[in-house]
Amino acid sequence: MTPESLDHTGVFRALADPTRRAVFERLMGAEMTVSDLTTGFAVSQPAISQHLAALRGVGLVSERRAGRFAYYRAEPAALAPLVEWIDKYRAFWPDRIERLKDVLKGMDQ
Amino acid sequence: MSDTAETAQDIVLDYELDAAPEKVWRALSQPHLVAAWLGPNDIAPEQGRRFVVEPAPNKAVDCEILEADPERRLSYRWREADDQGALVDSTVTFEVTPTPLGGSHLRLVHSGFKAVGAGSMLGAVNDNTLMQRSLQWAA
Repeated sequence: MTPESLDHTGVFRALADPTRRAVFERLMGAEMTVSDLTTGFAVSQPAISQHLAALRGVGLVSERRAGRFAYYRAEPAALAPLVEWIDKYRAFWPDRIERLKDVLKGMDQ
Repeated sequence: MSDTAETAQDIVLDYELDAAPEKVWRALSQPHLVAAWLGPNDIAPEQGRRFVVEPAPNKAVDCEILEADPERRLSYRWREADDQGALVDSTVTFEVTPTPLGGSHLRLVHSGFKAVGAGSMLGAVNDNTLMQRSLQWAA
C-alpha cells in the first residue's frame, strides 16, 4: 500500500485516538513487538493489537515477521495526506492575514 | 525523527500590526469586518457561541468559540468537512499583545487537527477525557 493510495480521512481518524497516536509516536523511535509496546502503556495487549491493526490499515505502521515474532515500525511517509492538509492552511492563513491588514487600514481609528 | 505527530501538526504565525489591540480585536470579532478578510460569517465573541464562516463559496466551516478574552485572545473550534465528507476538527487561536509604539503583535495558532467522522467515538471532548475513556474501554 503506497501513501498515495490512502485517503487522509483515514490517517486523521487513526491519529485522532490519543492512545493510537502514542503508539505511533513510540514506533517512530524504534521497531517493537506487541509486548514491547504493551510495557509502556496501561492498556491490554489485545487493545494494543487493535490499535496496531488500525494503524496498519491506513499505512501508518508496517509489520515485519521474524520467526515467532512480529515487529512493528512507524511509516512516517503515510503522514503525507495530513501534511498536505496542514500545508493548505500554511498558505491560507498568511493570505487571509494580508486581507486582515487591509481591513485594519480601512477602519476608523 | 524527533518531531512528534502532535507538534508537526501545529501552524504558528506571527505578525506585527500597525493597529492597536482594540482595533485588531474588532477586526477579529465583528461579523462585517471578519467577512472582509475571512468570509461571510455570524461570529460573536462569546464563549460557547457557535457560528459558521465561509472562507470560500460553499465551503462552510462550523465554528464554536472556545475562549474570548477581549483585546487579548480569541480561540475557536474549526470544524471542516474534507473531500470525503468526514469532519476534521482543529482549533484556531488569535493572541493579541500591545507593542510599545501603539501597534499589536498578532500570533495565530492553528492546531490539533483530528478527525471526527460519523461513527467515531470522538465528540466535543478534550484529549484527557478521551484518553481516560480509551483506557477504560481497553481495560
